[in-house]
Amino acid sequence: MIEVSGLTKTYGKKRGIDRISFTVNDGEIVGFLGPNGAGKSTTMNIITGYLSANSGAARISGLDVLENPVEAKRHIGYLPEQPPLYLDMTVEEYLSFIYDLKKVSGIKRSEHLDEVINLVGLTDQYKRLIRNLSKGYKQRVGMAQALVGNPDVLILDEPTVGLDPKQIIEIRNVIKGLGKDRTIILSTHILQEVSAICERVLVINNGQIVADDRPDNLSALITGDRKLTVRVAGPRESVRRILRGVEGVQYADATVQAEEGSYDFLVEARPNVDVRKPMFQALAQAGYPILQLKSMDLSLEDIFVKLVEAKRGNTAPRAKTPKKQETGKEEF
Amino acid sequence: MTAIMKRDLKGYFTSPLGYVFVAAYIIVMNATFYITSIMNASNGLTTVFNVMLYSLAIITPILTMRTFSEDYKQKTDQLLLTSPVSPSGIVLGKFFAAFLVFVFGLVLTIVYVIICQAFGKVNMASVIGNYVAILGVAAVYISIGVFISSLTENQLISAIATLAVFALLLILDLCYNLVNTAWIKAVLYWLSIYRRYNTFIMGVFSLADFVYYISVTAVFLFLTVRMLEKKRWS
Repeated sequence: MIEVSGLTKTYGKKRGIDRISFTVNDGEIVGFLGPNGAGKSTTMNIITGYLSANSGAARISGLDVLENPVEAKRHIGYLPEQPPLYLDMTVEEYLSFIYDLKKVSGIKRSEHLDEVINLVGLTDQYKRLIRNLSKGYKQRVGMAQALVGNPDVLILDEPTVGLDPKQIIEIRNVIKGLGKDRTIILSTHILQEVSAICERVLVINNGQIVADDRPDNLSALITGDRKLTVRVAGPRESVRRILRGVEGVQYADATVQAEEGSYDFLVEARPNVDVRKPMFQALAQAGYPILQLKSMDLSLEDIFVKLVEAKRGNTAPRAKTPKKQETGKEEF
Repeated sequence: MTAIMKRDLKGYFTSPLGYVFVAAYIIVMNATFYITSIMNASNGLTTVFNVMLYSLAIITPILTMRTFSEDYKQKTDQLLLTSPVSPSGIVLGKFFAAFLVFVFGLVLTIVYVIICQAFGKVNMASVIGNYVAILGVAAVYISIGVFISSLTENQLISAIATLAVFALLLILDLCYNLVNTAWIKAVLYWLSIYRRYNTFIMGVFSLADFVYYISVTAVFLFLTVRMLEKKRWS
């Protein structure tokens, strides 16, 4: 269990994070979502005891990181943003060193290390010098390092950075598997990653938590009004007229000429109205076929703008989490 | 602490650094021994110990320049500081790794004593006293080097700054003979690592001076621990 209350960290005059509070329960996988510089790494560094907060406290399994550092750190496996590797060691030597460093006891060294490298898929690279490994493999060694000693809390700072798409899926599955009996915080700036792995998302921006929710609730919130791009084969002006005439369409205009004789249109529907069917029928009647139809992906920035708007004006009320709500959590 | 010490020791000998250090040390010492003892057919080791002392200033930076600098650069300090080891454990582990490499080089010089003993009589008490004192001075130097390396992530700056500090100590030592004011002399004596060594050279084992070496070492190791802790607040 991770309890964080009122963490504030300033870098000179700049505010790194501002009164961050949350609780992560045992066996929960929580995603930290935020743009670069939002304070994700700072928060993680404070939880793991690498940095100290100006105020507030972080507790791991009830142990304060500042007051009881050695004991608290025993419970943590940490993969920092840049994997902390000794390049002059082989994977085997390095993990064996970590085993000693973390004072692992009760598990046999060779068995435990075998298990860890199997888990992250490093078996073939076990005897290689870390210096010679590719970025993806280095990231895996970093991951393996965090797993040594079977810590009950895992803090992973952008664990899938630098991996190729196949490896990303593999590592996500590994994390999911680990999450069954561990508490995990992972940070990312990729929206899909959160919905793929996490049960809960903390959205952090400018050093503050702007949302704390389940990923599906969050995506419902942020797709409250739908934006679509439609590619239609037909003359620009008449297609636009037809689109604007469709029931529920708030705005429609051509953006670019996509293929010969067809245009991409940006269509914005009124909140909670699905315009796809009436749009199709209207265009079909007029004899202009739809070549492509997709909903626009919101960028992370758009999400923040929306969440911040929601927080301020309550225009789109935040869906409440049906799951356990902890005390000490930020309320909006 | 032992895990870090073992890793650093290994690190010295998986990179050229440990070999360069031991080789440089042994080349200088062998040359000295050959010129002063063998060519002169002399049984005295005083010059050898003197050179041993002064060469420390030049070779210790090789040993300590990357102690913390390399960790800062590779971000492995993040690993050490988030592992269940106290900052003092980290510092001591790194200090003893460097110190053991030095001891390894020093042990190789025992050959001179054996050679001299084979062809004549060596004052064993004086030799042992000298070795203990050399270890004391080396501990001081290594702790200074370790401290300086904890200030920067650049190995080169670390090495040059350490050399500069040692040069300053040497200059202070030279100044001792040039001034006559009693209190300045007292201050200089207090600061001079070398001057305290003279008693050992003369074959007197001075416990007070040995304690002085240990205390200075402890001070610099303590400062290094504070540096590591301070990093957290930056």
